[in-house]
Amino acid sequence: MQTSTTSSPLTQLVRDWLWIILALLIAGVLLAISISAGRDPGTVISIFATRFLGIFIEAAPFLLLGVMVSGMIDAFVTPDDIARLVPKNPVLATIAGAFLGFAFPVCECGVVPVVRKLFTKGLPMWVGVTFLLAAPVINPIVLASTFVAFGFSPVFIGRFLGTIAVSIAVGLVFALGARPQDVLRPVALMPLRGGDGTVPLTMPRRTLMMGLREALRSANREFFDMSRYLVIGTALAAAMQTFVPQDVLVALGRGPVISVVVMQVLAFVLSVCSTVDSFLALAFVGTFTSGSIITFLIFGPMIDIKSMLMFVGVFKRKTVLYLIVLPFLMSLIIGVWLNLNVAI
Amino acid sequence: MQVTTNFDLIQPRVRQDGQAWAKTIILIGLAAYFAWVIASGNLSNYINERFSWLSYVAVVIFALLGIGNVIETLRRRSSELPVIQPAGSEVLTWRGILVVAVPLVLGTLIPSRPLGAESVSGNLSTNAVATSNMTAFTTDPLTWNVLDWLRAFHSAEDVTSFNGREADVVGFVYREADFPEDTFMVARFTVSCCVADAGAIGLPVVWPDAPNYVQDTWVRVTGSFEVSEFRGDKLPILKAAAVEVVTQPDHPYLYP
Repeated sequence: MQTSTTSSPLTQLVRDWLWIILALLIAGVLLAISISAGRDPGTVISIFATRFLGIFIEAAPFLLLGVMVSGMIDAFVTPDDIARLVPKNPVLATIAGAFLGFAFPVCECGVVPVVRKLFTKGLPMWVGVTFLLAAPVINPIVLASTFVAFGFSPVFIGRFLGTIAVSIAVGLVFALGARPQDVLRPVALMPLRGGDGTVPLTMPRRTLMMGLREALRSANREFFDMSRYLVIGTALAAAMQTFVPQDVLVALGRGPVISVVVMQVLAFVLSVCSTVDSFLALAFVGTFTSGSIITFLIFGPMIDIKSMLMFVGVFKRKTVLYLIVLPFLMSLIIGVWLNLNVAI
Repeated sequence: MQVTTNFDLIQPRVRQDGQAWAKTIILIGLAAYFAWVIASGNLSNYINERFSWLSYVAVVIFALLGIGNVIETLRRRSSELPVIQPAGSEVLTWRGILVVAVPLVLGTLIPSRPLGAESVSGNLSTNAVATSNMTAFTTDPLTWNVLDWLRAFHSAEDVTSFNGREADVVGFVYREADFPEDTFMVARFTVSCCVADAGAIGLPVVWPDAPNYVQDTWVRVTGSFEVSEFRGDKLPILKAAAVEVVTQPDHPYLYP
């Protein structure tokens, strides 16, 4: 627990005020652009509010379901359970992590509190990373919605194989190259036996009522921890949608490489929930290359503005950067390779 | 500035109570806000009605968390011991709590409005999404909306087959500077999930009195199609027989 005191006073200060700085930045951009474009500031604020609340209203229930699951894990799952259930072989464990979404069907808003809680229960860090990246796609709900939109098509197959490949590969990179204490923020590290002594490693099983109360308490803390990031991310996504014209991006849709990058940027900016992004992707069929659409469906659920900000609550900043760059590059390669070598 | 040492995890009582009440107000406030958005029908300004059950879930969980928070705070008050923050959570600052109140502030202070002509930003499409949902084609074409018509055009081999077909559609007036004087588009936003994926679609309408209809006015257009050129493309254009100003429909967006 002592590691959190190592950050310098300056970075601590920046961290404390980051939200305010971001909010002021957004407000400044909002004002400048609306005035320079001759748009009525009142209308612009109204559009921003509609987009912000739309994303928030759609995402908040998923976050709430996520924190309830996370609270239940906190109250009823012991580190011993995790130790018993996770395969001992790291590679096998990572592969299992990619399919953990069938046990916890959560989208990208709900997965972050769940994975954070699993970390404190001793889930190996790299398994959690794989779960975090895979779960928003590899779960029954998204399987169904993608099938409804695309049928049993190359897009459907490509999305699921691609997501499994990227999430396992990133998990293995973390397994080989990083130590948990360098990756995770102290809040997500498992409390060690004999550490600060606030939480014993093995807890006695609780009665059901006590457990439910504890679950609610934990869900409450988790909600306030995570919803800050959701609010900031939603504000950023809404600001991007309000101020960056999409037709600028769409004009770039045909090149085998540039189309993939454009769709990745779009996925990042739009921050659409993974349960419905297939329907949005349908709108791009025909104007965009197939590889870029598959990449959109692989990369979007892993990384977008709001999930990136929620990652900050679990991982150290440098790790968040890796968590963005690795899936970005891997899904880029998949998309470009499909465009150049497979005629879909 | 909050440095997380073990000692700091034991917070002063007063601050703890103040924060607990602030959290309770935010949670109950969010439950009430979601309930109000549902009850007022404003929910359809934000999300596809297919997902409105999620907002009911949100009301229940927000209320549950809020009530749980009240009980915990009262219980803590009756015992004299300060509560030690468990190791799995962060000490929250006031700033952190206030950020969570932002949706509440935006939701209550800014009047709820759906996306309109102002939010189109030059990417209005006359090309419909080719979704698998084609059941609408078995219904009476006079009940078809803008999206149904665009889908029908999209799946037709020869759009001139629509010449003379009658239509009756509702949408908002959308016009760009380079439109001919007598032309506007009757437009709608399609929303699959929430406004994050909103896309504007529209049918070009020719109507001699067009200049009198202000951008963003909701209108009902009746008339028949005739294929001709619009912005360089050959597509069915609605020659209006009547244009009538209407109130904004209960569901401003179309759900593909």
